[in-house]
Amino acid sequence: MADAAIHGDEHHDERDFITRWFMSTNHKDIGILYLIAAAMVGLISVIFTVYMRLELHEPGVQYMCLEGARFFATDELCTPNGHLWNVMITYHGVLMMFFVVIPALFGGFGNYFMPLQIGAPDMAFPRMNNLSFWLFIAGVALGVASLLAPGGNGQAGSGVGWVLYPPLSTSEGGYSMDLAIFAVHVSGASSILGAINIITTFLNMRAPGMTMFKVPLFAWSIFITAWLILLALPVLAGAITMLLMDRNFDTGFFQPGQGGDPILYQHILWFFGHPEVYIIILPGFGIISHVIATFSRKPVFGYLPMVWALIAIGVLGFVVWAHHMYTVGMSLSQQSYFMMATMVIAVPTGVKIFSWIATMWGGSIEFKAPMMWAFGFLFLFTVGGVTGVVLSQAGMDRLYHDTYYVVAHFHYVMSLGAIFCIFAGIYFYFGKMTGKKYPEWAGHVHFWMMFIGANLTFFPQHFLGRQGMPRRYIDYPEAFAYWNEISSYGAYLSFASFLFFIGVMFYSLLWGKKETEANYWNEYADTLEWTLPSPPPEHTFEILPKQEEWDRSHSH
Amino acid sequence: MPYEWSDMNTGAPVETGAPFYAHVDAGRPLVLAAWPYRSLKKKDFVRFMAATSALLFLPLLALLGQGPLWVMLPFLLGAIALIWFFINRSYRDGTLTEVLELTADTVHLTRREPKGAIREWQANPYWITVTLHRTKGPVPHYLTLRGDGAREVELGAFLTPEERVRLSEELQFILGRVKGV
Repeated sequence: MADAAIHGDEHHDERDFITRWFMSTNHKDIGILYLIAAAMVGLISVIFTVYMRLELHEPGVQYMCLEGARFFATDELCTPNGHLWNVMITYHGVLMMFFVVIPALFGGFGNYFMPLQIGAPDMAFPRMNNLSFWLFIAGVALGVASLLAPGGNGQAGSGVGWVLYPPLSTSEGGYSMDLAIFAVHVSGASSILGAINIITTFLNMRAPGMTMFKVPLFAWSIFITAWLILLALPVLAGAITMLLMDRNFDTGFFQPGQGGDPILYQHILWFFGHPEVYIIILPGFGIISHVIATFSRKPVFGYLPMVWALIAIGVLGFVVWAHHMYTVGMSLSQQSYFMMATMVIAVPTGVKIFSWIATMWGGSIEFKAPMMWAFGFLFLFTVGGVTGVVLSQAGMDRLYHDTYYVVAHFHYVMSLGAIFCIFAGIYFYFGKMTGKKYPEWAGHVHFWMMFIGANLTFFPQHFLGRQGMPRRYIDYPEAFAYWNEISSYGAYLSFASFLFFIGVMFYSLLWGKKETEANYWNEYADTLEWTLPSPPPEHTFEILPKQEEWDRSHSH
Repeated sequence: MPYEWSDMNTGAPVETGAPFYAHVDAGRPLVLAAWPYRSLKKKDFVRFMAATSALLFLPLLALLGQGPLWVMLPFLLGAIALIWFFINRSYRDGTLTEVLELTADTVHLTRREPKGAIREWQANPYWITVTLHRTKGPVPHYLTLRGDGAREVELGAFLTPEERVRLSEELQFILGRVKGV
């Protein structure tokens, strides 16, 4: 395993800064660019949530005032500015769904490690990879422009929710909404090109001998994600194109007054939207598999069922969309179907959760920072999964629909699930990507702050939902004050942990100790990226790797 | 693996020279073909496209007979066309082939680039020297051929180094035999 480290080492990196980072066609550099950009957009998006939790800290409106947004409560007159609130929830959703989690997990880790794990020298189409990244940046720019452009209610930005439901989105004033649609279009184009690149790379550039069922789980998860993007995003593109036409060309696809059907939009949107949540979480599943196997010092339990579970989750994700819209008036048999189909997804997901637990069973577990995040993920994702099964019941959903219970549910699976995966991945691969070490204690402090903060934020929201507090409101009656206050404290703690994390990253990059080992964990981190030096040279696997470098089906 | 000698069915390994003599007896050249590695079999490409198209057309079923169908259709067809085009593009980038035809009096090398351009080289086997540059070349174990002219050509630069080493041994041996005929 060790001798592979000399692969491609004779190339010396001679690119200057601009060429390397702005004209990059190198999958590793583009991966890093994706991670940095996603972190910056993530910070914006997180600041929105903190501002929202600040507003919800106490009953009444103290900060989002028509007289001007404030950061400190004063005794001056404050007329609630519902539009500002709606803008915050909309852009938090749009940014997180399209511009943070997918770019970080799929664009960042996918770009960087998928080609390495399959032993490919680069992506199949390196220049298209560059195009995908800059389209993503263009999408971010359009999104931010939309936030600042004239929108509804004579104010900046659109307050329609990230799902952009008509007729609200088609009657929102100004051109902010159009810019938001363009932003989603451009980001969709970026994701589709990225997905095509990844699919082609995965299918056609695997190392000799690496048949489909010998590919490492992370690469598999990225492939399935790319496939879901390819299948789901054109549907979204069609849906929002119709929104755009309704807004500007008076087509009336979704306008009841013109014979259109607003519910149809919801169907199309969720046909994309449900696979979208798997697009967000599946790469995380891949990272967690490697982290758990490495720190349990065991090969991952049930490789084949793990792969089939990924495929099954991907396919099932396309046939359950209407469970997001039980309340729109579907027939009983339609609701029953979507209920059953939704519960079926718990089976492959359960296969994955239990396989991870079985991987740890009898293993020699090491509580390093990435493993802590993986544990956190396992717990939080299971909690979110359980409330998901509750919500899948059409009858129960009548009660919980549009309450904070739903908010708690999807933040447990997506925000906590996916974000914990991202952090697990960052701590797992930090040394590999940068050649520097992070202080181990800092990873733990970050983990505990985030774990406690996130649970404090979202667990009380289950109670709020059961009390009947509706989501997407700027204010609430006295009765919901107790758990809202606790939830806000949790949000502050989580935000503090994020700032701490940014500090840790800067510290480690600038003053961190050098990481000299190729494989700084143990021999159970046995995929191909661990045979390369840390950080890997500019060109890797120009000479295709030999089977004995990666195929360990008989060695452990 | 991505290089192959024609008609190996004499049953004897290339190193024995048996395939070459069989070809000489039959009055046909011995042909070596080499191409870059691609991991997706055509059969699996068909399966992938079938599954992708099936799932892509699923939302269209719900829209049959409605206006929105015509907005969705171009996007979905576009997605299928794009993935089809790019996977085939990847295959095409891998259609670089090098074919070496050996007869008793000439060695003919044809290199077909992915875009169709063809480059040729020819020499008398008697003068050919096979060189394996262990480190100096653009890839380890860079394999080159030089004939009676000044032009030196590479062979199988896209193969793995092990393959090139094996290939050069086989070539050396066969050329030795050719010189003996």
